[in-house]
Amino acid sequence: MVDENLLQDAVKKTVARKDVKYVVGYDKGTTGFQAAPTFAFEEKDADKFIFSPICVNNLAVYPILEDKPPLRRGEEPDSRKIGIVLKGCDSRAIVQIIQEKGLKREDVVIIGIPCTGVVDPKKLKNRFPGQIKSLEIKDENDNFIVTVDGKTQNISKDELMPDKCKECEYPTPIIYDILIGKEIKGLKKPNYKEIEELEKKSLDEKWKIWEKEFDRCIRCYACRNACPMCYCKECMVDILDPQWVRRSVNLSENTAWNMLRAFHLAGRCIGCGECERACPMDIPLMKLNKKITKDIQEMYDYKAGIDAEAKPLLAMFKPDDPEEFIL
Amino acid sequence: MMNSYILLKEDLPKFIKELIDKYKVFAPVDDNDVTLFKEIKNPKEMNLKYNNSKLPPKSLLFCQTETLFKFTPGTKGKIQSPGIDNGKKAVFGIRPCDAKSFSIIDPVFKEDFEDPFYLSKRENLLLVGLSCTNPYSNCFCTSFKDSPASSKYVDILLTDIGNKYFVEVNGDKGKQIVKSKLFKPAAKTDEDKKNEVEKKAKDQIIRYQKTDGIAEKLDKIFENHFWKEVADKCLRCGACTYLCPTCHCFDIQDEATMTDGARVRIWDTCMIPEYTLQASGYNPRPERMNRMRNRVYHKYNYYPKNLGVIACVGCGRCIDNCPVNIDIIDVVNRAGEVKP
Amino acid sequence: MKEKFEPNIIGFLCNWCSYAGADLAGTSRIQYPPNLKVIRVMCSGRVNPIFVINALQQGADGVLIGGCHPGDCHYERGNYLARRRMAVLKNMLEYAGIDPRRVRMTWVSAAEGNKFAEVVTEVTEDIKKLGPMQHFRRENKW
Repeated sequence: MVDENLLQDAVKKTVARKDVKYVVGYDKGTTGFQAAPTFAFEEKDADKFIFSPICVNNLAVYPILEDKPPLRRGEEPDSRKIGIVLKGCDSRAIVQIIQEKGLKREDVVIIGIPCTGVVDPKKLKNRFPGQIKSLEIKDENDNFIVTVDGKTQNISKDELMPDKCKECEYPTPIIYDILIGKEIKGLKKPNYKEIEELEKKSLDEKWKIWEKEFDRCIRCYACRNACPMCYCKECMVDILDPQWVRRSVNLSENTAWNMLRAFHLAGRCIGCGECERACPMDIPLMKLNKKITKDIQEMYDYKAGIDAEAKPLLAMFKPDDPEEFIL
Repeated sequence: MMNSYILLKEDLPKFIKELIDKYKVFAPVDDNDVTLFKEIKNPKEMNLKYNNSKLPPKSLLFCQTETLFKFTPGTKGKIQSPGIDNGKKAVFGIRPCDAKSFSIIDPVFKEDFEDPFYLSKRENLLLVGLSCTNPYSNCFCTSFKDSPASSKYVDILLTDIGNKYFVEVNGDKGKQIVKSKLFKPAAKTDEDKKNEVEKKAKDQIIRYQKTDGIAEKLDKIFENHFWKEVADKCLRCGACTYLCPTCHCFDIQDEATMTDGARVRIWDTCMIPEYTLQASGYNPRPERMNRMRNRVYHKYNYYPKNLGVIACVGCGRCIDNCPVNIDIIDVVNRAGEVKP
Repeated sequence: MKEKFEPNIIGFLCNWCSYAGADLAGTSRIQYPPNLKVIRVMCSGRVNPIFVINALQQGADGVLIGGCHPGDCHYERGNYLARRRMAVLKNMLEYAGIDPRRVRMTWVSAAEGNKFAEVVTEVTEDIKKLGPMQHFRRENKW
C-alpha cells in the first residue's frame, strides 16, 4: 500500500519549486472504475492526489502532449519543468523518450511509486456489471480488497490485473527524483506463451485471426493518441502528399495502419498497454506489439526504456546482426 | 392515441424472419464480447443480452466511408453520377436514445442542403426499437426528459414484459408492420406491466445532468479558465467522437489510382489538432482546450440555439470509453455552476 | 489455355551498388525474368517499411530490396540499418499471416551482374509458387 500522505507531501514540495510548472498525478475519478489524471498548479491542489489500484493510466504521455500554441511577439516559451507521478512501467516511457532525445532529463521531475499491481477497468466492469453506486479498491499482498456498494470481498490479483502487471519486471521506477516508499524488486519474467502459440499456427490461420481484428478497426487513432511514444509532429497517416495510407476505412487500409504503427514502435514500445485500453473496439493490440518486443530481445538483446544512455534499436547496428534471410 | 399490441417471445424469431424476407435486417450481434449492429440472415445470429451496442447504429445512415462519386483521372477524365442506395433496410433492437439521435442529426442533412446519401437511407430505414430494461451506470437519457422505453423516435417499440413484448406503434410505417398475424391486441394489464417496467428502468438511472438553461449559462463563460482545467487531461484520442450517436463531422478526400478513382466522405473528429488546421499553417483551435470547449459548446450551446435541441441523447458511451475519465455529465454540471 | 500467373515484383535498388549491378546485368545481355519493376533509391537505408506495405497494398506480389554488401555502403551504415529494419518487418509480416518469402533482401555489388540475375530469377520463381498476393490488396471498388 502506498502512503498517500507521503505522496501528497512530495507533490506539495515539487509544486512549490519555482522551476516547476505543474505536477500531474491521479485522483479519484467519477465512476470508481478508473482513476483520472489530475493536475496540481499550487500546493493546495495536492490534496486530491491519490494512489490506489485503480491508477492504471500512463501519465508519461503528458510531457509530450503539451500544447505549444504560437507565441506573441516578445513572449518567451515557458520552459519550466513538469512533475509526473510514475509507476515502474510508466517510467520506462520517460526513459525511452529521453533516450530518443524527445525530452531532456532536466525537463521532468519524477515522483516515483513502487507499484504492486493495478486493476484493468474492463475486467473490473465485467466482474461487476450494471449500476454501481460506489466502488473502492485496496491492495493487500496477493489480493485486491474490493468494496462495492458497501459489500467487501477479496479477489485474487490475477483475476483483475492487466496482463502487463502479471509479467512486471520493473515495479520500481527506473528513474525518479523522489520515491514514495521502499524499492520493490522485480521478480516476474515476461510471459510470451500466447505469442508463441499464435506463432505456431499456419499462415492462413494467423491471417484469419488478424483479418477479423483489423476488420473491426474504426481508425479513430485512439491507440496512437493515447500512446506516450507516438509523438511525431506529423503522423505518417496525416501526410497527404504523397498519401501513404488512405483515410477510408476498409481491411486494406486498416491492416496497413495497424502493422505500420506496430513497426514504428519496434524497440520503443514499453508495454504499458494504453493503446489496448483506449481502443474502443477492444482490438488486442498488445499481441502485435509484444511479438516485436520478443523478437528484438531474441535477435538483438535489446529492451526498450531501460537505459537512457543506450542507442535506440533501429538507429544502431552490430556487424554481426542476423542476416540469414538475405540472399 | 397510439395502438398497442403484444408479441409473444416465442414468436420473435418468426417476426424477424418476416422482416428478413422484406428488408435487409441489422440487429445486435456479439463479435468477440463486443456488441455491434450487423446484418443478419437468421434470427439465431442476434444477441439480445446487451445494454447498448459499442458503436451506435448511425453508420447505417451516415456511413463511415461513403462514395460520393467515381471518376477517371486525367484531362479527359469523366465523372460518374453518384449511386444512391435505395434498398429497404430495418434495424432491430435500436434503443430509444440512439433512435432519438437520428432525429437530432436529420436537420444537418436536410436544412441547408439535402444530402441524397443520408436522406435516401433515412427514408428506407425501418426502426424497430427495443426498450432498455437495465440501463448502464453511465446512462442519463432521463436528463433530457426522455425515457428508456420511449416510442417517440422509432416506428415500433418492443418492451420486454416477461414472456411477451408490449408493442407500441408510431406512424404509418409501424402500422404496416403490425398488420402481421403475429401481433395480437394488448390488454390493460399488459400496458400496466409496461409502465411498471418503464418506471423501474427510469428509477435505475441515478446519474443526472443539469441541462436547464445550459445554453445561456455557457454563453457567459466562453473565456473562462474552467475549460483549460477540463481539457488538461484530454489525450485528444477521439474515441468519444467516433462512439457518439450525434457526432456528424466529416472530411472529404479523393482517392485514385492511375485509371480510376472516387471522392469519398469519411468521419472526422474535432479532437485532433488537424481538425481546423488551415493550409497556411494557422490553426484557430491550437490547444486541446479550444477543441474540448468547441465540442461541449457544439452539443450544448450552438446546436440548441440553431436547431432547438441539445445534441446529446444520454447514451453514456463517451463516459464509458474515455481513457482519462472525462465525464460529460460532470463537466456540464460543473460548467453550469461556474461564476462568469 | 490457362494463363500462367506472372508475379509483379517491386525492387528497391540502392543507387551505388545494386542498381549498378542490375545495369551491368543488362549491358552484359544476361537474361532474367522481366517481372521485377525497379525503383532506384540512393541507399537501401532509405527504404521505409511504409513503402513495402504500400507496394503490397497496391498490387505487388513481392518486394525485393537490394543494398550494398556490409561494410561497403556508400553512406557508411545505411545497409546495416536496413538489415535490422527488414528483419523486424519480415517477422512481423509472418506473424500477421503474410508469407515472409514475399519480402526479400539481397546484397548485390556493382560488379555482380550475374548474381543480380540469379537473385531475380530465384525470387520470381519463389513468388510464382506462392501465387498472387490477396490478403490486404486495395479493392479500389468504392
